[in-house]
Amino acid sequence: MASWLDYTINGLIVGNVYALVAVGLALIFGVSRLINFAQGSIYLVGAYIGWVAVVQLHTPLPITIIFVAVVAALVGLIIERFGLRPLQNSVRIAPLLATIGISFVLDQLVMLTFSPNPRALPSQLPDVRFQLGGGTIGPLDLLIAGVGISSALSLFVFLRYSKLGWAVRAASQDRDAAMQMGVDVNRVNQAVFGIAAALGGVSGLLVGMYYNQIDTAMSLQATLKGVVAEVVGGAGNVPGAVVGSLLLGLVESYGVAVFGTSYRNLFAFLLLVVVLVLRPNGLFASARQAPPEPLTGTFIAPSRPVRIPRWALAVAVAAFAVLPLLPVSFYMLQTLINAWLLGMLALSLTLVAGTIGQVSLGHAALLAIGAYTSALLSLTLAVPVGLAIIAGGLMSAALGTILISPSFRLRGHYVSIATLAIGEIVSLVILNWESVTRGPIGISGIPPLSLFGYDLISPNSVYWFSFAVMVALALLQARLLSSHLGRSFRAIRDDDIAARAYGLSLNRYKSLAFIFGGFAAGVSGGIAAHLYSYINHETFNTQQSILALTVVILGGLGNVVGAVVGAVALVGLPEIFRIAAEYRILIYGIVLLLLVRFRPQGLLGTI
Amino acid sequence: MTMSSPEPLLALTNVNTFYGQAQVHFGLSITVGRGHIVCLLGGNASGKSTTMKIILGLVKPRSGEVTFDGASLIGLTTPQIVRRGIASVPEARRLFADMSVRENILMGAFVRSDREAIAQDLDKMLTLFPKLGQRLSQRAGSLSGGEQQMVAMARALMSRPRMIVMDEPTMGLSPLYVDRVLELIRTINQEGVSVFMVEQNASLALEIAHEAYVLQTGKIVLSGSARTLKDDPRVRDAYLGGSEAA
Ligand SMILES: Nc1ncnc2c1ncn2[C@@H]1O[C@H](COP(=O)(O)OP(=O)(O)OP(=O)(O)O)[C@@H](O)[C@H]1O
Ligand SMILES: [Mg+2]
Repeated sequence: MASWLDYTINGLIVGNVYALVAVGLALIFGVSRLINFAQGSIYLVGAYIGWVAVVQLHTPLPITIIFVAVVAALVGLIIERFGLRPLQNSVRIAPLLATIGISFVLDQLVMLTFSPNPRALPSQLPDVRFQLGGGTIGPLDLLIAGVGISSALSLFVFLRYSKLGWAVRAASQDRDAAMQMGVDVNRVNQAVFGIAAALGGVSGLLVGMYYNQIDTAMSLQATLKGVVAEVVGGAGNVPGAVVGSLLLGLVESYGVAVFGTSYRNLFAFLLLVVVLVLRPNGLFASARQAPPEPLTGTFIAPSRPVRIPRWALAVAVAAFAVLPLLPVSFYMLQTLINAWLLGMLALSLTLVAGTIGQVSLGHAALLAIGAYTSALLSLTLAVPVGLAIIAGGLMSAALGTILISPSFRLRGHYVSIATLAIGEIVSLVILNWESVTRGPIGISGIPPLSLFGYDLISPNSVYWFSFAVMVALALLQARLLSSHLGRSFRAIRDDDIAARAYGLSLNRYKSLAFIFGGFAAGVSGGIAAHLYSYINHETFNTQQSILALTVVILGGLGNVVGAVVGAVALVGLPEIFRIAAEYRILIYGIVLLLLVRFRPQGLLGTI
Repeated sequence: MTMSSPEPLLALTNVNTFYGQAQVHFGLSITVGRGHIVCLLGGNASGKSTTMKIILGLVKPRSGEVTFDGASLIGLTTPQIVRRGIASVPEARRLFADMSVRENILMGAFVRSDREAIAQDLDKMLTLFPKLGQRLSQRAGSLSGGEQQMVAMARALMSRPRMIVMDEPTMGLSPLYVDRVLELIRTINQEGVSVFMVEQNASLALEIAHEAYVLQTGKIVLSGSARTLKDDPRVRDAYLGGSEAA
């Protein structure tokens, strides 16, 4: 039976680990107003470099730490130089998307190099525990605390007494003014990325030793926790990030003490959402601090969309409709069914992210809500599947909009963080609400698709059904966008202050977009549930949210035809080229990076 | 009567500037003579601040030439331009709000590395701006507007510049501080620093300037020595036009 003191110690130790990640995020945000979604990947790289050092090179502990810090810093420098610096003059969403792409690439490279199986990372320290008051503490706890405190101190000395440190502080307060003092902002960025990466890498090493195990799922978790701690402390606020991290560690640890381990992350994300809603500038922001996001300016690349004549679209729809009658393989049909399901999700996301400018990173949650609603209704209440799917869509529309509504007052990158957190919360609620969702066991035996009493079992019928639903949703959305409503959506995206000045109620329009988008995504999730016949809390995950985002960027944000084209391209091309599954995520990451760099308006252009 | 003016320190020649599709400067030509105070007058949105940004390399002109001491500044980064000897007092001061007054002033010496001389210069700033003495460890963001203007000027001087560019240094200041600022600009200039300043308040600026230019929607409509411009009715028009637009 662990004591409260144990939980406190554990919370502070974990908080120290988070702090190493969060401080780096805060430094980077301070200088470039960017949330670095690749921070967790550097942490992952740190853990695996540490594994190589400890297990293969047999380095002593101090050398291991230095080795990890240096390699991680190099990775950070490379990311800054080749991933982000070329995007300096792009639209504001570009660097954010680039860090997401980079994190996909790094995670997959680690996975391909080391296999996805967990590995043991020995701690290199004696396994003893000392009594301390009513609790115990071990050498590793002390090491983590020591690294945390000495890093914080070194950072303090660096920022306060070195010339480069002054430059970092000046640039994070006023970038242009710092340049006018002769500060080379590129060098500052480099320094900040190097430091952030070194700290992040060491953090990964320490966590691996702490839990004695490393695996590739660590990456996203670390990014999320770091972002939570950073936002709680106030984005860009370095001391705030440390306090936010310790607070997060304690909240989690006490939460686990009271409710159990599976609640750990739920507390983290609830804390984030509460802080975002009540104090978006963090707990310690002074009132006079400028909002960290610029209020105006293009967030999404403007462009002239490619006009596709109606007859060509009609021909394409007809061609895909008759496809099952041709001698095509079962495999091909299945691939296209996946593309249509992803297409529905992309329609939803392109509306929300592209047309109204709320770049959601948690869109898979809408799939999950639709899927669970439809599955449970048909399974437990014997609701006909067709109706259950519609109910799933409506539930996603309603619940999704309610869940997201607290973030309506946020802008830009903050919307992405909030939606990411809300997505995680949905999946964690599904995991923990066992009486309804069956928790970690998931739902099996979901009845197959059926319509008016006829089961849709054959691949052809499933194909036609999903294609028809997607086309119907796309037509509806195209109508919507050409209406007055669509123009209001775009006005809000392009300049919400002006839109408000014209008397548009932002909340109402954002709600409408999420209601429509939630319905499309929920229907997609519902169909998927009946197709798969088994779902659990991990079926619809962040990776899918990011895949959907890549699809809509590929097609052109806001572009209805683009969303479908993007879905077919991203699902279909890897199949055509027979790319092995483990390389696909890598390819998606690379596609995202290339798009952001060379064609931010996508294939068909933003609308 | 043409006065023989010294060889220009700064020259903008035929500069055209755009923000996206919108043209802000139309063939702008301005020269600042060595040791002179030159003033750019103009109403709101006439392109004054953009002219400063062009000099500092914060905005790139689409065409035209900018030279400082005979060498082109085109293609240089802002820090490189600063190292050539141009310091700035930006619009609305732009201090580093969370850094102390001392740190703000010392940031001005960022391009220098002669520690002892920097310390001496800091002392010199405190004699030039005696009010800042008691405020050195205070957060810069907590100072009054007038005090902030002093810090911004001290910060600019710390790089030992050959030229200072200032964007509306008297904006929002009480009359007492306005006089103080103008006097300081004159003092700075007498120590050999050339000054290029942007102003909306023509009568104030013409008090201390040697030459002036009047900018209207991106075009120079008038220029000449401050003495002749002061009596020019068109300046009064432009000046009134400027304040009406405000
Ligand atoms: N970053 C920018 N992007 C787009 N347009 C800009 C930008 N900065 C300035 N402008 C526009 O360029 C024009 C000139 O601006 P500038 O700031 O140079 O004017 P100004 O003469 O300094 O005005 P003020 O007296 O109000 O300071 C204005 O119409 C302004 O809206
Ligand atoms: Mg101006």
